[in-house]
Amino acid sequence: MQDFLELTVSAAASGCIYGLIALAYLLMIRPTGIINFAVGEWAMVGAFGGYLLLSKFEWPYPLGMAAVLVFMLVIGWLTERIAVRPLVERGAPLLAPILALLGMLVVFREAISVSFAPDPHPVPYALGIQRQSFFIIAVTSVVFIGVWLFFERTIAGKSFEAVAIHRRAAALMGINLSRVTALSFAAGAGAAGLAGLLVSPNVSAHYLMGVPLAIQGFTALVIGGVGRVEGALLGGLLLAFAEQLTVRYAPIPAGYAQGVPLLLLMLFLLLRPTGLLRAK
Amino acid sequence: MSSLLRWLGAALLLAGAAFLLSDYHNDVYRKLLLWVTLALSYNFLFGICGQIAFSHFAFYGIGAYSVVIFLFQFHLPFPLAILLGIALCILFALAVAIPSARLEGFYLALATLALAQLFIVVLNEGGAVTGGPGGLANYKLPEFLGTRIRGPWYTAVIVLLLLGTLAVLWRLDRSWFGRACRAVRDNPEVAAAMGVDVARTKVTAFTLTSALAGIAGMVYAFVDNTVNPPIFGLDNAFLLLFMVIVGGAGRHAGAIIGAALLFLVPFVLSPLIGHHHVLVFGVLVVAAILLQPRGLVGLYDAIRRHP
Amino acid sequence: MKNLLAVAAALLAASTFAQEPIKIGVITDRVGVSKPYSEPCTEGTVFGAAEINRRGGVLGRKIELLIEDDQSRPDISAALARKLIDQGAVFILSMSLTPATQQQQTVTMEAKTPQMTPMNSGDTLTTQLPNPYFWQTGPLGSIQIATLLAHARAQNLKRVALISDNSDLGQLLARFFRAGLEKAGIQIAAEEVVPRGATTAEPQMQKIRAANPDAMFMAGVLTAENVLIFKAYRQFGLKFPIHSSYNLSVPVYMSVAKGLIDGVTFVDAYDPDKPEVKQFVAEYTKATGKAPFNMHGYGYDGIMMVAEAIRRAGSTDKEKIREAMQQTSYAGVMGAKGMKYRFPEGKRAGFDPDGMVVRVYEGDRQGRVVHVGQK
Repeated sequence: MQDFLELTVSAAASGCIYGLIALAYLLMIRPTGIINFAVGEWAMVGAFGGYLLLSKFEWPYPLGMAAVLVFMLVIGWLTERIAVRPLVERGAPLLAPILALLGMLVVFREAISVSFAPDPHPVPYALGIQRQSFFIIAVTSVVFIGVWLFFERTIAGKSFEAVAIHRRAAALMGINLSRVTALSFAAGAGAAGLAGLLVSPNVSAHYLMGVPLAIQGFTALVIGGVGRVEGALLGGLLLAFAEQLTVRYAPIPAGYAQGVPLLLLMLFLLLRPTGLLRAK
Repeated sequence: MSSLLRWLGAALLLAGAAFLLSDYHNDVYRKLLLWVTLALSYNFLFGICGQIAFSHFAFYGIGAYSVVIFLFQFHLPFPLAILLGIALCILFALAVAIPSARLEGFYLALATLALAQLFIVVLNEGGAVTGGPGGLANYKLPEFLGTRIRGPWYTAVIVLLLLGTLAVLWRLDRSWFGRACRAVRDNPEVAAAMGVDVARTKVTAFTLTSALAGIAGMVYAFVDNTVNPPIFGLDNAFLLLFMVIVGGAGRHAGAIIGAALLFLVPFVLSPLIGHHHVLVFGVLVVAAILLQPRGLVGLYDAIRRHP
Repeated sequence: MKNLLAVAAALLAASTFAQEPIKIGVITDRVGVSKPYSEPCTEGTVFGAAEINRRGGVLGRKIELLIEDDQSRPDISAALARKLIDQGAVFILSMSLTPATQQQQTVTMEAKTPQMTPMNSGDTLTTQLPNPYFWQTGPLGSIQIATLLAHARAQNLKRVALISDNSDLGQLLARFFRAGLEKAGIQIAAEEVVPRGATTAEPQMQKIRAANPDAMFMAGVLTAENVLIFKAYRQFGLKFPIHSSYNLSVPVYMSVAKGLIDGVTFVDAYDPDKPEVKQFVAEYTKATGKAPFNMHGYGYDGIMMVAEAIRRAGSTDKEKIREAMQQTSYAGVMGAKGMKYRFPEGKRAGFDPDGMVVRVYEGDRQGRVVHVGQK
């Protein structure tokens, strides 16, 4: 029983990280249709921000966290400016920005790889080792509630949804498409950077941490479905519980245990191709 | 007839080049030809049929490992080993493609992402059969009529593989099947309305290109006479995607140019700028897409149109 | 007078001929997964080559390193081995991923060019291919586990846990750790894997806790994933002792696993109190302004051993170098006090089975040597 309770906390914390990454994907996919695989590298940039500000310069945690968040918003906005807007304005096919962002993935990773030593870098806990899981869960909850309220309760949020439902109609209604796109990328980078900062006390900041996170978050997104904000969190939690319960309780050799969630995922896709939650 | 002569000329030219090269350049040439072969079949799947998959290197690996295992652990005759290897690729491809064809969008991407990772897990955990993380080594291409094909002669075999792959894809592209693939890529609903069986077209394209990757893998197995897991991982699958995009998706020439350029970049840039070459590679990819979304081939077209 | 001129001309010609450097190839990784280990090892080799040249070179010739970056991609690695051979390298030092070293071997075996890895530790590198031109001086996985077990003998272990990661080397080390434990008649009560990119190791550590082992052996080599293991260990307040592979001997753990590793024992090929080590550290720090650690020592020993073999061969003929290399008996920076690298009875893995030491973390510092060898 003790095991199960501990595991619930640890899987919930991992699930929140996956959920935040899935949210980052979702924030960009909804209004633009663009899948941005560079979210994992954004998380890495957030983690390195944490290392610089919190470990090296020893800023107080709230200040460091706020600074990282602001920096990530700028990074997201810049990424959109460089790799997305020129293509969208030219009316390039949807695949073009997706691929340009894959190129940005390499640029982000290598920029970090050549600027820092190759070893992992430590990032401190917010409230100590025993409470990090709860801290992750709390921050993620706040983020998801905030995003949910934004989409449900504010005019700006409704305008995002309108763009998601029908781009051209939304534009005719006077919604500024390029501003919505820019904001969605800034918010996506914010969510991804936050995930990186939250997970980095556990996994440390290192130059190869992005791709695994990008894959885990993408899997969570597909499980939850791209239709609704809650889906991202639900998908993340489901993936994390599947992973950790398999390792703990499934009677199979350890090496193969990592394959089980992948098999589950393929099975899941067959049975529920639109994801757990459908768009309203 | 003249087209046959053209293919023959290309074969002689490409294979003949191997006999003029040093050992090192021959090796780079062999691996380059293999990358081009893979890029060609991947381009058919991704560029012409519009399916994003990350399993191409897994099938390359299934081909490579299966031929080695069938030949040197089960001691099967050479032709049987090859046929069984291809059958295995087709089997796995169907198992992934049939369920995925019912789904839309990037679900094939995810299913193949999962397959690619599972494949590496199986290779690492496969014990004596796959050799685990160390892979398999200490084998040689069987002899035919008392001689063993090696050196530039083996390069010639790879040239034949490349041209064979290109010929198959070329013919398919120009047949009703190629048109069906393009129709499925551009608009599945319209394609279905025109009488194209969308699901079947997708499954066929995926299975065929995966089998072609498997055959290329069998050839790869005897390039260095060793197979090990890192070659068949996701990193190379992403690189392959980049190659097709940079060169120009949907065009055979694009795949060839992209593969040649991106494969050779580290060899050329690494001595010049050291470990920054990957950063330069990333900037190149972004710049290529921003400047010309249809890839380098598109750039060439644009220049030719407005000289 | 005329004769004298001719002799002078001949001497001049001979000396310019002698000036031509001996080329030694190095294949390293500057961007891929092996980078954190490959880079310091290569720095050690570069420093070693500079030292050799400062002291007059080998056979009156300077050593020139041809360094190539394979990005941890084995197929490119093999191509680079051919490149180095074409460029006239008489020896290749491999400092990249284990499968990359393996794939280079298929080339060096065919081209009959001597090759050595001073840092790879997978036992299979010298057993999978009958390549008489290849040597390995990294401390083998089987030596690591035997040394750890020799030290733990007093604890009278009955049942233990084994934990690793899914990297190539982590899996290889786990395989030989398993074999070593089975040979010693110790039951493996739980065997776990933490995959690359995991965000927690708690489920794995729960399983190990449930198995209630006398001790836990770590064979993983991924720093971030190993830190996850220590975190779960501390979080659960576990008490059984931890014995780790040589991966814990790199200094990064002192900063990245701060407060987590006190009392952990690990096997190392590096004894900081050894006179050779003290001299190496002093000279390296003086020359580069940076303190070296054990990875630098592997690379330094590698180039020194190669230079010494060429000296004994008396020529740069590859066959003669091969024969000389096989006769190596060399005391370097790495290994316990008095250890010599040797390749007896045609063996090509040259790290002395009794040459490793067991050390223990004291606070966050890599502390004293508590055990030497397998006895």
